[in-house]
Amino acid sequence: MTDNKSKFRISEERRRILLVEDDIINQEMIRESVSGTYDLIVAETGEEALTIISERYETLSIVLLDLNLPGIKGIEVLKIIRSVPAYSRLPVIVMTSDSEAEVECLSLGAIDFIPKPYPASKVILARILRTVELFENRDILRFTERDHLTGLYNKEFFYRYAEQLDLYHKDAPTDAIVFDIIRFRTINDRFGKTHGDEILKNIARKALDIVNEAGGIVCRSYADKFMIYCPHRADYGVILNALSVPLGDGENHVRLRMGVYSDVDKTLDIERRFDRAKMASDSVRDNLASPIGIYDNSMREAEMLADRLINDFSAAIRDKQFVVFYQPKFNVRGDEPVLSSAEALVRWKHPKLGMVISPGTFIPLFEKNGLIQELDRYVWSETAAQISDWKKRLNVSIPVSVNVSRIDLYDPNLTDRLLGIVKANGLSVEELLLEITESAYTENSEHIVEKVEKLRKLGFKIEMDDFGSGYSSLSMLSYMPIDALKLDMQFIRSAFGERIDTRLLEAMIRLADSFGVPTIAEGVETAEQVSVLKRMGCDIIQGYYFSRPLPADEFDKFIKFKQPVFV
Amino acid sequence: MLTVEKLKEYGADVEKGLSRCANNESLYLRLVKICIQEISADALGAALKEGDLDRAFEVAHKWKGGVNNLALDPIAAPVCELTELLRSKTPGDYEILHGDILKETAVIASLMN
Repeated sequence: MTDNKSKFRISEERRRILLVEDDIINQEMIRESVSGTYDLIVAETGEEALTIISERYETLSIVLLDLNLPGIKGIEVLKIIRSVPAYSRLPVIVMTSDSEAEVECLSLGAIDFIPKPYPASKVILARILRTVELFENRDILRFTERDHLTGLYNKEFFYRYAEQLDLYHKDAPTDAIVFDIIRFRTINDRFGKTHGDEILKNIARKALDIVNEAGGIVCRSYADKFMIYCPHRADYGVILNALSVPLGDGENHVRLRMGVYSDVDKTLDIERRFDRAKMASDSVRDNLASPIGIYDNSMREAEMLADRLINDFSAAIRDKQFVVFYQPKFNVRGDEPVLSSAEALVRWKHPKLGMVISPGTFIPLFEKNGLIQELDRYVWSETAAQISDWKKRLNVSIPVSVNVSRIDLYDPNLTDRLLGIVKANGLSVEELLLEITESAYTENSEHIVEKVEKLRKLGFKIEMDDFGSGYSSLSMLSYMPIDALKLDMQFIRSAFGERIDTRLLEAMIRLADSFGVPTIAEGVETAEQVSVLKRMGCDIIQGYYFSRPLPADEFDKFIKFKQPVFV
Repeated sequence: MLTVEKLKEYGADVEKGLSRCANNESLYLRLVKICIQEISADALGAALKEGDLDRAFEVAHKWKGGVNNLALDPIAAPVCELTELLRSKTPGDYEILHGDILKETAVIASLMN
């Protein structure tokens, strides 16, 4: 077993030499010179040599070629070896007494000469060893610098060659371009990995054609991601079209996404330049209609801000920099609007940036990296404490809705956590309303429905947030366990936009009503909107018409002044 | 019995010949025997008799490789001279050189007994 194992190691394999020589004396001398180090295969004619090479070229380390052979001459054998790409890695040492043949053989690709009469055995062996080592190192280098699938440079060598290009073209405007295949994984799933690999190879060929024609270098950085470093150009759309190879279904072409950092700043290191191209590509991630992103500094500023906010997050939670604001919701079913509840909205009072960071910036960021879970729990606790405070100080119970993010719904301890917060603040479950976005329902809806059902059984009231923003159908209402439907703010805005068209809005309110689900309209700003929504049968209205979101102490005053209108 | 001493005495550059055989004496002596047997078979004489100078060149060239590598200098001199004449097809008395070669071959063959 151990023997087999050691035999299977490349390092344990003896290198093989093909000696093409018809003379027995020469054969025996070479055999004696190399047999301690190499296995020797002998071919006595050019024809025999070519047959052996065609069968065993992958495991031959070197060819020692006599020029004066019976049949096909050595020169012809050398020409054939050099004309077949598969044999290109095979070094050939020519053996001849004819010094005039040296130039011709070298120009045909021979790597070295062994003169006749032969030098001493040790000299022959040393020359062979050196040549084999050189070629193996060259092969290793080639394997290291190339991506095996496409033959393009790999990322590391690409960066080094890009730096070399800069040395020779310091002042030439240059572009850093990245591109990848949109939903490449599904291509592999649909057509198989072999076909996926063919697509990558086709794209690599096209990319190589482009840089061969216009200058520059290209690499496959990993998977379906490619990078180009080339003289500045403006026709990125043309490149993208040229790279969009057929998909294999006979109808479609692959869809590519491209990010361009145009006319790069060469004081930046090469990796940063491609980071910027990548940023530009990310900016068009979900934009199939316009798949080319061009880098501008705002992208970098946004990314730097994002990094800063992520870094500052823990301190913000610890130091209570996140402040909960409350926006009232009014029941408009009666003659007079009646304050029925509020929505908790988080703001960040950053010690250095102040309140300028919009929740529209940090909430999607924290949703993306999972920090939203910690922020949600913080808001739930702060809100519950505030409801409790109002109950104690003002003797009034105001239910407040808090956001439950999609990721929270996968927390196995969600119900215990919410119950714990409610209990710790002496509240009933109906006082902490839970808002779950429509999109959370559409993703893995079976699991979400089950989770929401559980919360409802415990007595929590569920409001479906942002309804109308996602891709859910109205029929969802028939099986979704919810207690209220919040119409998406954008939906309200477009209904009351330049061309007022409230038909869809009205239909949705009526439909919700027919399922016995009250509707909440948010983002309502004018008396006219309130009046129309009320006429349509909307139950609850939230928006600047009644009040902007208020910090808790201002909401205090609001409660005191509006006390008469409370139920 | 052929020995390296006898070959040295004959005028062969044995050190050089041996260095091409990784100093393996028995191999060297075996190759000398092969070389002498081949020359003794006299394919060159047959080619010259038939007037086939191309064939004669091929044989002489092969002999030249053998005797040079084995450093059999006394025989190498006429072999090389004849090879070059045949290569360029220079008219000359090939038979004299051919005879010299056979004489030297006979000397070495006698060392084997």
